[in-house]
Amino acid sequence: MHIHELNPKKTIIALSVFIVVIVIGLSSISGPRLEYKLSPAETIELITWEEGYVYPYELEDILGGVVDTVILIDIRNNFDFSRGHIPGAENISAIELLNEENISRLKKLKKEGMCVMIYGDSQLHANGPWMIYRQLGFNNVKLLLGGYDYYAQWKDNLADTYAEDGYLLGMPRHDYADVAANAGIFDEDDGDNKKPLNITRRKKTTVVEGGC
Amino acid sequence: MNRNYLLLTALLIILSGGLLFLPEKSDINRENPEDLMWDIVQPTRYLSTDKVAKMIIEKDPLLLLIDVREDYEFEEFTLPGAVNVPFDSILTDYADEILSIEDVNTVLISNDDIRADQAWVIAKRLGYKNIYVMKGGLNCWITTIIQPVEPAETSPITEFELYKFRLGASAYFTGAEIPEESGEKKKLNVTRRKKETVVEGGC
Repeated sequence: MHIHELNPKKTIIALSVFIVVIVIGLSSISGPRLEYKLSPAETIELITWEEGYVYPYELEDILGGVVDTVILIDIRNNFDFSRGHIPGAENISAIELLNEENISRLKKLKKEGMCVMIYGDSQLHANGPWMIYRQLGFNNVKLLLGGYDYYAQWKDNLADTYAEDGYLLGMPRHDYADVAANAGIFDEDDGDNKKPLNITRRKKTTVVEGGC
Repeated sequence: MNRNYLLLTALLIILSGGLLFLPEKSDINRENPEDLMWDIVQPTRYLSTDKVAKMIIEKDPLLLLIDVREDYEFEEFTLPGAVNVPFDSILTDYADEILSIEDVNTVLISNDDIRADQAWVIAKRLGYKNIYVMKGGLNCWITTIIQPVEPAETSPITEFELYKFRLGASAYFTGAEIPEESGEKKKLNVTRRKKETVVEGGC
């Protein structure tokens, strides 16, 4: 005979402790702090959405105050930021972007219908953080094409960038096969090898498009 | 048998049955956002065109080039030995087979680096390892490797050494290497390096 069975109360105590432990265990299960809202397939689609980007010429309206629902975030480091940045931008370097503080702020901005435009040195620099934000479900976060370097080059005549394509990435700038077959090392004349680029440009809009 | 024991056993069995109903941990969270962000801020994923050229010329057995452009672009031109995994098809089984080859250094290439970088973020999230991006992409490949520009006379000596290397590489890629017949996708041959018992190199 087990010592237990001499005292029925002990069983009840054991049972209640057991249950308490399980309840505590279940209630302390929590999901990860940040969760992806988009599946990889949705992320691939997102890349081709135009609403995710801010074109350099749209900055004209944003900086001129025509559009006042956009917050600018500069993800470069403090040093670069102090040497020059887009007026009105605040500096949050990439690694701080997922801080509790910044995430809750973003959630608030999303609720208020505000847009957040992030930029780095180039489009490439801010691409990763932008993709993460988008995958986390912040569909109010946009990416500045061309980045700061392009802005700095054109800041006095941003509207002119509408007719310019220097900031557009992802297309071939050469006819590779032709250049590789014919160029050789002594061919200095690379002007002829350039293939005219066919750019489909979207219509100019005065207001930043998108949901916010 | 004591009734209490039966009771406790029944309770345990019921509770363990509850495990079946726990939400299935979804597959899409293989790398959590914080870790991914940490990887993203590291510039170590970028390889210069010179480095890639060097690896191709040396026939580095651990190099696996993946061209993420569309298939018609791939058929027109690509780097020697590259396989084609268009950006849209990165989630297919074919892509998975290629990306999950272990112990090779996978380098993604596109027209510039942006599409390759986007592919990198997705591949990284899916948990693939040893993936790199060729900085500047094929546009940069043309301007640095195929048509190198002579450095100014005042440039440091390293610039000239680099230029010399690029001239050689240019000859290699434009002359010595006969362009592959396009059309068929290349079959992947992973040749593994022989195990060396002696330390290589002079030091």
